[in-house]
Amino acid sequence: MKKIFAMALMILTALMTGCGGEESAGNGRLSVMLQSNIVSLDSAQATDSASFEVIADCIDGLMQLDADGKAIPALAQNYDVSEDGKTYTFHLREAKWANGDEVTAEDFIFAWRRHCVESSKYAYIMGSTVACIKNADAVIRKEIDAENLGVYAIDSKTLVVELDAPVSFFPSLMCFPAFYPINENFYNSLEKNTYGTSPETFLSNGAFKLADYVPGAANIQLVRNDSYWDAARVELSNLQYQVVSSSDNALTAFKNKTLNLAVINGNQVVNVKNDAELSKNLQTIPTGLLNYLSFNQDYKNNHGGALANANLRLAISNAIDRESLVDNYVMNGSQATYTAIPLRFAPNAKTGEYFAADQKQFSDVVSFDVEKARGFLEKAKSELGLENFSLELIYANDSGDTVVKVAQAIKSQVEENLPGVTLNLQPMPKAEYLDRVTTNSYDIAITNWAPDYDDPMTFFTLWTTEGSEIAEHWSNADYDKIISDCTTGDLAAQYDERWSAMYDAERILLENAVIAPLYTNAIANLISSNVSGIEFHSVAIERAYKSAKVQ
Amino acid sequence: MTKYIAKRLIMSLLTLFAIIFVLFILIRIMPGNPFPVERMSAEMILQKRLELGLDKPILVQFADYMSMLMGGSFGNGTSLYNGAPIKPIMLKCLENSFKIGVLSILFGTLVGLIIGITAALHRGKFLDGLCTIVSILGVCIPSYVFMIFLQYFFSYKIPLFPYFFDPSRFLSSAVMPAMSLSLFAISTVARFTRNEMVEVMNSDYVKLAEAKGLYGLQLIRRHVLRNALIPIVTVIAPLVVDLLTGAMVIEKIYGINGVGKLMVDAIAGQGVDYNYVLALGIVFSALYIGIMLVLDILYGIIDPRIRLAAKDG
Repeated sequence: MKKIFAMALMILTALMTGCGGEESAGNGRLSVMLQSNIVSLDSAQATDSASFEVIADCIDGLMQLDADGKAIPALAQNYDVSEDGKTYTFHLREAKWANGDEVTAEDFIFAWRRHCVESSKYAYIMGSTVACIKNADAVIRKEIDAENLGVYAIDSKTLVVELDAPVSFFPSLMCFPAFYPINENFYNSLEKNTYGTSPETFLSNGAFKLADYVPGAANIQLVRNDSYWDAARVELSNLQYQVVSSSDNALTAFKNKTLNLAVINGNQVVNVKNDAELSKNLQTIPTGLLNYLSFNQDYKNNHGGALANANLRLAISNAIDRESLVDNYVMNGSQATYTAIPLRFAPNAKTGEYFAADQKQFSDVVSFDVEKARGFLEKAKSELGLENFSLELIYANDSGDTVVKVAQAIKSQVEENLPGVTLNLQPMPKAEYLDRVTTNSYDIAITNWAPDYDDPMTFFTLWTTEGSEIAEHWSNADYDKIISDCTTGDLAAQYDERWSAMYDAERILLENAVIAPLYTNAIANLISSNVSGIEFHSVAIERAYKSAKVQ
Repeated sequence: MTKYIAKRLIMSLLTLFAIIFVLFILIRIMPGNPFPVERMSAEMILQKRLELGLDKPILVQFADYMSMLMGGSFGNGTSLYNGAPIKPIMLKCLENSFKIGVLSILFGTLVGLIIGITAALHRGKFLDGLCTIVSILGVCIPSYVFMIFLQYFFSYKIPLFPYFFDPSRFLSSAVMPAMSLSLFAISTVARFTRNEMVEVMNSDYVKLAEAKGLYGLQLIRRHVLRNALIPIVTVIAPLVVDLLTGAMVIEKIYGINGVGKLMVDAIAGQGVDYNYVLALGIVFSALYIGIMLVLDILYGIIDPRIRLAAKDG
């Protein structure tokens, strides 16, 4: 018996040792919140912005985003563009991988070829709708060998990229992790499928190194990489990511100083604003994420194709009070949006003005106007010979209650403003939601899209005949022509003409109410007052910590 | 004896097979898509399905899966979600869950024994009632509710322990989850200890020992506890597996990279990760069945009547 008690005492003392209330903040240690697990540190597997953020902490690409979101050189010291805009020559700077190897042009070639062959979601970014790298489409379709991809090394520090068409935003595209290098020898020394699954199987050349990580980890630890070429700029010694799925928990952890950066929801924003202390920490950051209604026009959809009628879609789009949605239901600083392109995104290279700066541009077809909406509805009723419409509105309800509130608000607004239209709410888990969309079994979906690169085309290509096969099932030859002219056709090289042609495409899109834009997302962050220098971007890498400081 | 063990072994294998079969079918008919990528074209999904053999009849898929399992691999051995290999990651997560599970079992058993003994010694008095209430509460309160309570008071109000699990400070991070998990073990062990002790204390040989002049700690230790402990050990064994697998919610809210969280993420993440859900289901079942098998065999050795009963039945 004495032994048992002795053991109990021993274990209790063992448990108590090392228990300290020391704060994790301070000493160059930054702890930030992630809302969900990252998918993968392998850029060919990653599908989410959180993964891209962590990859970008650890690996530099040819270019990087500066504080204002402009592309500036990273591993490329500088670059030359040929006159026709189809050949880029990048001159690499002296930089090392964390294992001491030089970063060479071959590392890029290896990564890009691999990406074309192995990536499922983001392979397209190399192809003719985005980067237009020579032969990329054929390599992605596995018709020719990856060696034929239009990217070459003149010497170990000079990388040449050949494009099929001039791509005005090509340098900014180089900030996207799909274009980051991977050390070929290191990769080949690993067991199959293990790249990026632990600190030992992931090699960094960037500001931070991976210190602790397993796939699906709730806690990711990064430490400063002293061999980083720009190490002088990096002040943080530790960067820690903590996955917190409940925002109540996040708020408490922020108050507790466990987190230096927490993301809170709309209801909490209201409370925080009333709190004299906490309101000083509140920073609302606009993003490039557009929330919109996707109308399924296929005749096979649940309502027998009534949504193929443009007037019915226009009626719904104009019956929604977007300002009320963001003010009363989203409440986190998100902004009502009346264009197919989100608000603070894709600035014009010459004027610096955001593409969607003029929100009144399409107010004849996207607005909140009950009279007009009812007019559209009357036309739809006579064209279809129907008096009542009962439509299904599907949405994923497992990522917080904002979308639930938005769906309920849309239902009540539409039903009140459009007599005869009923929306049946169908919440479901995200996996099922995605399945319903891809298998064409929905009427209307609340969906969203975040830009992959800093050009409106990242949205416009969603609704070409090919792109909308996945969701809206809409096809318009004029629209398709403008998009192809702007990507690989005559307009690709003419900046201003391309820019105005894209507005024409947007008009076709919105006159047909292919989608009903709702709002551009903002993220309400609580940031400790001793933290500065975190850079927020609306494209590709949402948060960057290279210049972050903790006082 | 050999025959008895062989029979138990075959039964266990059959049970495991049945579990795998049911799990396999259930997962395949679950709504949703294992490829949770937005705007993935029907063509791409079809190609993925072909790659993984998901286009074949479900029974053929099951046969394929079983043959791969016999070869020591869970399906194609990688997560459908991020392509990472399953086994090393699952082992790492098992290790984390196991460490916390062991801590909570140790803590739970100790506290449970103390409460049970106290209650038995003060049978019918105030302390007995108090201990009974504590052990009933322990069964009633879900461990994660207790966890949230601890997190609020001992990390937020009084910053004693880390607010989230921090692998670099394992022990101090493990205290709160281990304590919450041990709640169930405490109550189970306490109730069993009390009942067994009361029974033993009423037995003739203890009365004889008392008559011979033994009293106090010596009597409890030598005669009561030793005899009462045997049935208690048999309740603890299955508790171990319960703790390994039952920590799902706690691991999720406290951010522990354990198998429970792995399971929750595989089911309720962006897509249903067929390979992970199956692999974890199989491992959990195998652990449980394995422990039960060992217990059955031990019972058979300890008490021949069980063997005979099994033969008659």
